Amino acid sequence: MNFTVALAMYPQVNTLERNLKAERSALERLAAWAYQFSSTIVLGDIAPAFRKARHSLLWIEIGASLKLFGGLRPLLARIDQELAELNYTYRLGVGPTLEGAALLARAGIRIAIMTTERFSARIRNLPIRYLALTDETFRHLHIAGIRTIGLLLELPRDALAKRFGPQTSDYLARLVGTAPDPRPTFELPRHYDAHFAFDFELQSTEALLFPLQRMLREFCGYLRGLDVCVQHFDLILEHHGAAATSLRLGLSRPERSAEKFLTLVREQLDRITIPAPTVGLRLSARHFVEPSAQQSDFFSRALQNSEEFAHTFDRLVARLGVEHVHWIQCVADHRPEACWRKSHAADAQRATLAFPERPLWLLPQPKLLQRSHLIQVISGPERIESGWWDGGDIQRDYYILRTRDGANLWAYKDLAHNGEWYLHGYWS
Amino acid sequence: MSAHRAQTLEQLARLCRTGRDASLLAGTAPTGWAELDAILPGAGWPLGAVIELMPTATGIGELSLLMPTLAQFSRSERYVAFISPPYVPFAPALAQRGVQLHRLLVIETSASVDTLWAFEQTLRCNAFGAALAWCPFVKDREVRRLQLAAESGRSIGFLYRTPAAALEPSPAAVRLRLQANDKGLIVEVLKCRGARSGMTVAISCADSERASGSSLRSPASSP
Repeated sequence: MNFTVALAMYPQVNTLERNLKAERSALERLAAWAYQFSSTIVLGDIAPAFRKARHSLLWIEIGASLKLFGGLRPLLARIDQELAELNYTYRLGVGPTLEGAALLARAGIRIAIMTTERFSARIRNLPIRYLALTDETFRHLHIAGIRTIGLLLELPRDALAKRFGPQTSDYLARLVGTAPDPRPTFELPRHYDAHFAFDFELQSTEALLFPLQRMLREFCGYLRGLDVCVQHFDLILEHHGAAATSLRLGLSRPERSAEKFLTLVREQLDRITIPAPTVGLRLSARHFVEPSAQQSDFFSRALQNSEEFAHTFDRLVARLGVEHVHWIQCVADHRPEACWRKSHAADAQRATLAFPERPLWLLPQPKLLQRSHLIQVISGPERIESGWWDGGDIQRDYYILRTRDGANLWAYKDLAHNGEWYLHGYWS
Repeated sequence: MSAHRAQTLEQLARLCRTGRDASLLAGTAPTGWAELDAILPGAGWPLGAVIELMPTATGIGELSLLMPTLAQFSRSERYVAFISPPYVPFAPALAQRGVQLHRLLVIETSASVDTLWAFEQTLRCNAFGAALAWCPFVKDREVRRLQLAAESGRSIGFLYRTPAAALEPSPAAVRLRLQANDKGLIVEVLKCRGARSGMTVAISCADSERASGSSLRSPASSP
């Protein structure tokens, strides 16, 4: 059916322009995903002619992977499951040659055929329309009464080559395995860079989650193929008529789980406002990490806790920002404001620093204290005089004061500046 | 006859108590204060619960009350979170009270919706033993959510609220009003699942008690 006929029958028909570049990049993303099953991946061409464009081909050499995945059936089940999650329409064929597997997939034959003998026998009665022949060749064969592949294969090769050109006889030889079929294999790129363009504008961040999920799953297939994990990756949202939004996803430990990545992306998307509708997504990762030995099935409570902690921590950071989730550490300094610091990693401090008794709360800035508030002095003074070498010198007498309602304050008399009283903490 | 009846009653009471303990308590964590353990069912803070603390003022020992429990959690494999603390949690003081600082996570938020979100996430996560949150406005429904999160993570959520909150009902498992007097901190049990409410204990946990008792050490040699 062509477009005019379709329009006549259904005026509301929704048309989408074909995008060859997007098809090519989708096939390449799939190849990167397929790398987890085999290191030999061959990509088919994207045919510009519409009649041939109903499908694109991707070959995975599985002979060497069968043992690893526990046999053919589990391997195919795994491929089926992941492809279903990625939401591609596909057909699988398992055959002894490249063109043979493609033929079985086109014919919808899911029985795995491993040897060329059994393959030749199985395809004997298939109609020739499943073969990858030019339209002209197909028409000529049809007129000559050659309807099945078996009949075509019985013809002398020399005569076929003379009649239909050497490429036809060569194709048939490669199909049944009598001629070799060397092709360049897909090289896994060293950096991951996937691009996903939409044919329409996505207004909400919710709508982004669906394509994102697919992208992240493909990304994880790539990571598994290389047997690596990531700690950082970038996600760029491209907008129509506005600068792109760039998100940096960071994890506290290397991961390759699409679900974990998605929850983090979700938290970040909740946090930002998108300036304009999104028309494209780009996911890129440059640095990969070997999976730690911890990732094996070794199961202990401590390990499980540390994994759960990492997951919760990453979500907190994704939503609140890295500067708002931190640890605290002691610093060897007498000045209260300088004897602690924020830290963005959990370092177990082995050496404990000896400090005099200190209150649990410290005010971020000392606050001028009115003398009338003071009821009684509980203890003090503790003289702290330090910091003349870095310009932050202080001269203070610290006291513990008790207010009328029983609260204990940590306050000091500023000896360097006319003896004012300041509140610096609470003995909570 | 009356002796027999008394015996039956006592048996019944025991059955009720044990049944209640087994069904309601998912375990407890000792508070570190003998006086307080004595009045709490299971002799400690209930795990998998939200505990509301309503101090009348800042600086009466409302945080010191939790220090033994937090120190205990941090020494075992579990984390402790401070969410939206009103002041800077002072690292030297926490270390002095036995808290392992690498197990203490400080989470700062700018909106109360983020505080509650972070509180729920940490409570739900098994890696956290306890989470402390300072949130002035909390609704019933939100406390119930937090309660469920704590149950699934078997953690304790300590929620600091204003004294005015004591007047409103709340689904929290335990609600304590904290005030100071000369003896130290007075803990009043407003509500406690599986125990009588209205009990009051005095705890001398205010730092100043210790600080005034022990002579202040002079600062270590100046650098």
